[in-house]
Amino acid sequence: MMENKTHLVLCVDDEVVGLHVRKLLLEHAGYQVLTAADGHHGLEIFTAQPVDAVVLDYAMPGMHGGEVARLMRQAKPQVPILLLSAYVGLPDEVSSLVDVYMTKGEGAPALLNKLGNLLSLPNASHQTVAEKKR
Amino acid sequence: MVLPVVACLAMAVILVWQISRSDVTVGEIERSDQRIALATQIEKLTVDEETGLRGYQITSDPRFLQPYRDAEAPLLQTIQELQSIASPEQKNTIAKFDEEHRTWHDSFAEPLIETLAAGGNASDDDLNLGGRARMETMRSLLETIVESDNRRRQTRVDEWNRQNVHMFTILIVLALAIGLIIGLFTRNRLEAVSTAFRQSLDLQRSRAEELFESEQNLRTTLASIGDGVVTCDVDGRVQMMNPVAQELTGWLESQARGRPLEEVFNIVNEDTRQPLENPVAKVLRLDRIVGIANHTVLIRRDGSEIAIDDSGSPIRNEAGQLIGIVMVFRDITMERRTRAALLANEKLAVAGRLAATIAHEIHNPLDSVANLLYLLQHDPNQDEARHFLDIAQSELARVTQISRAMLSLYRESKAPVPVALKDMLDELLLLMEGRFNSLGVQVSSNLPPSITVEGYPAELRQVFTNLITNAAEAAAEGGTVTVRVFPQISGVSPTGLRREPGAIVEITDNGPGIPDNIRERLFQPFFTTKGERGTGLGLWVSQGIIRKHAGSIHLDSRTEGPGRGTTASVFLASKPIMDPGGD
Repeated sequence: MMENKTHLVLCVDDEVVGLHVRKLLLEHAGYQVLTAADGHHGLEIFTAQPVDAVVLDYAMPGMHGGEVARLMRQAKPQVPILLLSAYVGLPDEVSSLVDVYMTKGEGAPALLNKLGNLLSLPNASHQTVAEKKR
Repeated sequence: MVLPVVACLAMAVILVWQISRSDVTVGEIERSDQRIALATQIEKLTVDEETGLRGYQITSDPRFLQPYRDAEAPLLQTIQELQSIASPEQKNTIAKFDEEHRTWHDSFAEPLIETLAAGGNASDDDLNLGGRARMETMRSLLETIVESDNRRRQTRVDEWNRQNVHMFTILIVLALAIGLIIGLFTRNRLEAVSTAFRQSLDLQRSRAEELFESEQNLRTTLASIGDGVVTCDVDGRVQMMNPVAQELTGWLESQARGRPLEEVFNIVNEDTRQPLENPVAKVLRLDRIVGIANHTVLIRRDGSEIAIDDSGSPIRNEAGQLIGIVMVFRDITMERRTRAALLANEKLAVAGRLAATIAHEIHNPLDSVANLLYLLQHDPNQDEARHFLDIAQSELARVTQISRAMLSLYRESKAPVPVALKDMLDELLLLMEGRFNSLGVQVSSNLPPSITVEGYPAELRQVFTNLITNAAEAAAEGGTVTVRVFPQISGVSPTGLRREPGAIVEITDNGPGIPDNIRERLFQPFFTTKGERGTGLGLWVSQGIIRKHAGSIHLDSRTEGPGRGTTASVFLASKPIMDPGGD
């Protein structure tokens, strides 16, 4: 949990209340948190800020989470993405784009655990994150 | 016909000719008789003259001379008469007689009388012999005339007899000929009549055969028809049933014949169990083809039931008189089941789509609440805790609201109830919010309160969910959907149609519009433009529901121009007379 405090996490969700609560939760867990209410803003912040990880909602107006994830991968393939959705059973081409996929309602410990794992156990696709940490 | 008339005419002509010829002969005979009579008269007068003269010669008494004087003038006249009618060859003889007589009269009789009157002697033998000789000559001349006429008369009589025989023969021959002709003619006619009769018999026989054959054909056709067919007379008594009808009703034709139709064809309303109007009575009353009501159940002879669809039609004779009724019906149990299965399938599909939407709607607040609970577990300060609890409470209220809306979505009501359109549509739009968000569609609505119609809420929700989903999917990302409700006041439309009071719900999108070539197929089952995602039943079911509500649904669409997009309008009456068959 020590190194978490240095990590900058971007949360993208059109659910204003849910986004606010998620920000509080992640801040309580020691992360620095940036928020965006839709995919366009999320992409702007993603490219402008040194984001370490993204917690992305799927169902959003304008651009859904799958589309946002694809563009983020193009821009910075090394940044891990956690896709959160209220839907069960997203298409494979969407879930395969992201590092972790989970449904809303699995609970705060699950989210924190998965996000922590993403940031502390880098795999091959996240070499740069691992290098940076080293 | 002409021949006997001509034959009779010919016979008449021949008869007339024969009679005229006979008349001529008879005339000849008469003339001969006349001449003989005249010649006899002349002879008598000559004898009178001679006798008178002789008496006078003997007696010299002038009284004896009187017959001589009396005969003189008639004799001359009679000779003239005879001469006038004499035949040419007699004329000479008569002329000779006349001359002899004159000579006798002038040269013998008169000089003798004068001599005697003068008291002279008249006994000169030579003179007397000369007078006698002349008288003999005259007599022989007269005899010649009489003889020749007698001969002629005999000839004529013979000829007349011959003519009579002739005529008689001709008459017989003609009569025979005419009889023969008439006989032949009649025979000819009779033959013609008998031929015609035989031909008409043949024709009738072949007609009867054709009729029999065509009846056989019709019977076979009737027996082969997949629908039940029952005919009955105007009194409603069963006359004929085809095998399907026998199977469906459970009655054999032989048992059913003559029985009242309602006994054999016992139909009731599926729901109310009330007997339905006897189709015969209905046809007689309306005098046209009638369908029977929906949800009709036929109670078979053994008491089992089948759902049927049928129609009754009047049977008319050539004069157009009603002589019976034919009922055609079929078992629609399977059809009904298939339809029910399709409707259920579509309901499930709608439910499935909604379930996904609802899960999304519930998961969002639940996620927040779960996160807030986690935060509350980790020793927040007083203010933070209050703040977290407030948020959690409002999020849970949202969940409750959504679950309530979801509950009412599939709560079936048995009877139509007042439906506040604003409340229903607001609820639906709330449930579908996530769907709109994920599609990127802006939804606006103009829903005045207090517009209510009577109906089945669950079904109307299904219709509006369908139409709004269609609109949102058509509008696609960046598009807009507008939902409006406005009242329709009773009256008459500009096109002259009677308007019932009610409400119109309009759902408009600014999508690509519906191409003309598919517009008319939209309400058909299994027609979809959505590929795998659609069942193709949405609009078909929606239309069925709206029809059941005695309302109407129509689509107005433009594929180009500033008004591009589609508007679905649903009219619902304030107090509809429900048509259970619309479902």
